[in-house]
Amino acid sequence: MLLMWVAILPRAVQAKQFAIVADKANTTSNLTASELVKIFNARTRSWPDGKAITVVMRDPSSADMQLVLRKLLNMTPEQAHAFVLAHRDAIMVADSDDAVLRFVSTSPGAIGVVDLYSLTQDVNVLKIDGKLPVEQGYLLRGN
Amino acid sequence: MIRKASIFGATIFSVTICIGLVFAAVAGLAQSRAPQANNTIAAALPLTTKSPQARRLVEEALSLYLDKVEQEQSIEILRKAVQVDPDFAMGHEFLAQISLDSAEQVGEQEKAFATRSHATTSEQLVIEWYQDAADHKLISAITKMNDVLNQYPHDKWVVWMTTWWLQSQAQYERVIAVYENSGITDSPGLMNNIGYNYAYTRQFDKAFAMMDKYVAALPNDSNPQDSYAEILRLAGRFNQSIEHYRASLAINPQFYSSQFGIADTYSLMGDQVRARKEYEIGFQKFSLPELQQILWKTREAATFVREGDYDGTEHAFQGIADYAHSKQNSQAEADTYRQMAMCQQNPKEALVYLGKAEAATQDGKNALKIAITQELAQILRARVEVALRMGNKEMAKSSLERLAAMSESSNDKLSELAYHGAAGAVLFSEHKYDQAISHLEEDTNNPLSLKLLAAAYQKIGYSAGAKRTNETLTNLNDPTLEQALVVPAFRKCSETPSSCVTNTKSASLKK
Repeated sequence: MLLMWVAILPRAVQAKQFAIVADKANTTSNLTASELVKIFNARTRSWPDGKAITVVMRDPSSADMQLVLRKLLNMTPEQAHAFVLAHRDAIMVADSDDAVLRFVSTSPGAIGVVDLYSLTQDVNVLKIDGKLPVEQGYLLRGN
Repeated sequence: MIRKASIFGATIFSVTICIGLVFAAVAGLAQSRAPQANNTIAAALPLTTKSPQARRLVEEALSLYLDKVEQEQSIEILRKAVQVDPDFAMGHEFLAQISLDSAEQVGEQEKAFATRSHATTSEQLVIEWYQDAADHKLISAITKMNDVLNQYPHDKWVVWMTTWWLQSQAQYERVIAVYENSGITDSPGLMNNIGYNYAYTRQFDKAFAMMDKYVAALPNDSNPQDSYAEILRLAGRFNQSIEHYRASLAINPQFYSSQFGIADTYSLMGDQVRARKEYEIGFQKFSLPELQQILWKTREAATFVREGDYDGTEHAFQGIADYAHSKQNSQAEADTYRQMAMCQQNPKEALVYLGKAEAATQDGKNALKIAITQELAQILRARVEVALRMGNKEMAKSSLERLAAMSESSNDKLSELAYHGAAGAVLFSEHKYDQAISHLEEDTNNPLSLKLLAAAYQKIGYSAGAKRTNETLTNLNDPTLEQALVVPAFRKCSETPSSCVTNTKSASLKK
């Protein structure tokens, strides 16, 4: 009987989902995909209220960030790494999701990307094209 | 063997005695620590009850479950605890999570939620986390889980709850991170759980080391040997797997899952005659509950699939369908006919079986509504696959539309996965590979979808993804029908490309 329960459990790795997060005071709740791309490629440098945007993410060469950067910027890992190095003033690299969340929650204007399952209540989750990470058609999910 | 999952987003967990809890001395007052502020690391999750006896019972139950891996005893004791104090919110929550009875799971979760005002903020957070998961409010559930974990990262109970829930969400890497950060090294229940997670992430050296510890911790228990055997099998080390299954049976000859584990392993090794002999030993030796009988008979039927024996397959599955029908188990009957359809090379005959499957779901005898919904979703998915094999786009489209509507309205994960698998197959057949990928990536639990996903990655030039997915598929050693239908042929195709069938078609048997 126990095995019948276990049989319905997922065994293979499910699609990863990534959340775009901002500090709690940020009034933006939704970004279009193109707005998000412009933020991540450093063409948009400020929020509508004038606060400077700082992007924070984990090592762009990690498998997770490769997926995010492939989805957002269509870059190879090498291109993404070079891009981040060239935009150190606007893009920060943190060593863990926890570090990303800490930075975003304490830095007005910051925007970060973390694994969905790392989320805490210290940040706001932004919709992309009106969709949250768990919804069908959400941009930042995949393998 | 892994212990059970609950219906709340397939949550599964257990907890154990927490050392050093401060006990309120005044009778009639809530016995708990003060609620912890956010981001403050505390030693232990409070357990609030007005009854010292209820508290002792819960601690005993949790210890039995996590330290001795004694699930059924633990459940009995938890039932007593919540009788003693019906307002013991975490007592209800623990029982909701480890109960083997789906009605009890639902009822106890409702009681936990209803009585949470008697508990501390931290306990309320735990209960609301599970309630949100049950209500499919995933983001809220995740944030609450992490808030609890951040407060009690070294508490055995919290680590256990978190790792089990994350495992139910297939977040294996995060399970491992939570465990390794906890510093807990002396819990047999956690060893069992984490060993599987290392295996699921193919860190087999760590998985085996964990199993060595688990066996040493409970040398007179069959389950460590049984788990070790299953993990060895996942790694493809079949002979060693059988040795551990036999060690499990030597400890407890009544531990029937090990007998059937031996049979499953022979089947995966390609020795179907020996596998059937071992299944038969199990059927002769053990009086099995109905669902277990159907499960292992289905595994036995899969031996004929692996042999490519159509008549044997049909005969074996028909026997199961008849048995399920005689027991008025509509869901099992429907599932068996669906599996017969999957094995059929002739699509018209496959449709006949799918019709019987759907008729059985309409009978709906002795089955929960959600189980029937999930089965119907699987049937519709199979219908889409058959329609694609027939080149019948209209049937594929109409079946997919029904499945989409069902997935939307049921808010059920398994139905959603069935939809993604079917939608991915349709889009793949239309050469819309990018769109197909976004669906297939949601259903990587299923070898049929994995196979299409690898091909779709290849089509768009994502070689790394194709390679990784091919490896996953090649190394899949689960003794399921889907594995039997897809993986052996896929391995053969990888070794001998001239033997490949087209990627859009799943393997089926020749008559």
